[in-house]
Amino acid sequence: MTTSDSPLDALGDLMQAAQQGDGAAYAQLLRTITPRIRQLVRRQRGFAGAAEVEDLVQDVLLSVHAVRQTYDPSRPFEPWLTAILRNRLVDGARRYGRIARREVKVEDLDVTFSDLETNEESADLSDAAALRDAVQALPEQQRQAIELLKLKELSLKEAAQVSGTSIGALKVATHRPMATLRMTLGKRRE
Amino acid sequence: MNTDDLVQKLARELEPAMPLRRPAARAGAWFAGATVYIAALAIGMGFVNGYPNGVGVTFWAVQVAAIVTSLLASAAAFASVIPGLSGRSRSLAVAAAALWIVILAATSTADADWSAVSSATHEWWCVGFIVAGGAPLLVVLARMLRRGAPLNPATTAAFAALSIAALANVGACISLPHANSAITLAWHGGVIAVATMSVAACGRLLFFWRLAPKSTKG
Repeated sequence: MTTSDSPLDALGDLMQAAQQGDGAAYAQLLRTITPRIRQLVRRQRGFAGAAEVEDLVQDVLLSVHAVRQTYDPSRPFEPWLTAILRNRLVDGARRYGRIARREVKVEDLDVTFSDLETNEESADLSDAAALRDAVQALPEQQRQAIELLKLKELSLKEAAQVSGTSIGALKVATHRPMATLRMTLGKRRE
Repeated sequence: MNTDDLVQKLARELEPAMPLRRPAARAGAWFAGATVYIAALAIGMGFVNGYPNGVGVTFWAVQVAAIVTSLLASAAAFASVIPGLSGRSRSLAVAAAALWIVILAATSTADADWSAVSSATHEWWCVGFIVAGGAPLLVVLARMLRRGAPLNPATTAAFAALSIAALANVGACISLPHANSAITLAWHGGVIAVATMSVAACGRLLFFWRLAPKSTKG
C-alpha cells in the first residue's frame, strides 16, 4: 500500500488495498469515513432521529461496499464517496416520502373500547391485585419468565442472561403461563 | 446491528473486487461486440432489397451519425454507473443524438410525403429488426452495467436503449436499404424514441442497489 500526503488520497489508497482483499485496510477506511458520513447525514437530515441517521449511515456503508469495484484508484476518493452518499440520501428521502404518504402517525390510540364485551381481557389485566396473585400462583420458572419479559419488559436475550436459561426455553415458559393467566383471570371475572 | 458491528462484518467478509475498466474502454468493448452481432444479423437477413449500392451519400451520412450516437450513448451509459464522474459523456451523447436527428430530418423532409407514413407497412420489418434484434443486446448491456452503481437508473437505461436502438437501426437500414424520407424519419425515429423511453421507464427494474444484509439470522 502506498502512502499519501493528503488524507483524502490516503482514503483512496485504503480503498485500493480493500479492492485487493485487504480487510484491515477496509476496516480502517470504513471507520474513517463513518463519522464523516454521519456528520453529512445529520446536516442533510436535521429532523431525523438518531436511529434514522444511523440507518442511513449503514445504508451508505452497504452501498459503498456493494459498488467498491467502481472506484478508480487513479481518481480522487472524495467525489466518488460524495456521489454515493448524495444518491443514497435522495433514495432515503424518497423512501421516507413514500412511507409518510402511506402511514398516519398517532400519538396514543385508545386501548379500550366503549363496548364492554370487547374489553374482557384488558379489563381483567387492569386489575393489578388479581394479576399479581395470578402471577404468584405460577410455577417458579414460569413466574420468573413472566416477570422478566412481561412486567420488567426485558428482551428475550436479556431475560435469558438474567435467568440463565435458553431463549427457546423462555419462549415456552412464557407461552404457557400466558394461557394460564388468561384462564385464571377469565374465571375470576365470571 | 450497530454501525461498528456492521463495519467489522463488512471488513471480515471482504472479498477482492477488481476495479472496473474505464467507461470508455468498457463501451468500446461492448460496441465492438454489438457491431459484429448487428452486422452478422444484417448479413444473415440477406440484404432484403439487395446490397445497398444504390443509396446516396446522405444515406451513409445518416448511418455514420447513428453509429457515432450509439457509441457515445454506450459510453454515457457506462459512465453513468461510476460515482463521481462528470456529465461530459452524457452531453456528448445528447449532442450526437441531436446532430443525428438534424441530419436525418434535413435529408428526409426535402420531398416529404407525410400521407404515405401510415400506409408504409414494409416499415414493420425495420421495427421488428430494431426491437427483436436489439433485445439480446439489451440483456448483455444491462448485465455489464449492473456491475456499476445504479445512481440514475432511468438515465442509464435511456442511454443503453438509445445506443442499442441506434445501432440496430443502422442494421435495419443496411439490411433493407431505402432512401431517407419522411417515412423513415417517422417510423425509425418513432421506434427509437419509444424504445428509449420504454426502457428508461423500466430503469428501476433493471438497475437497483443490491445491498448485503446488515445481519444474518440464526
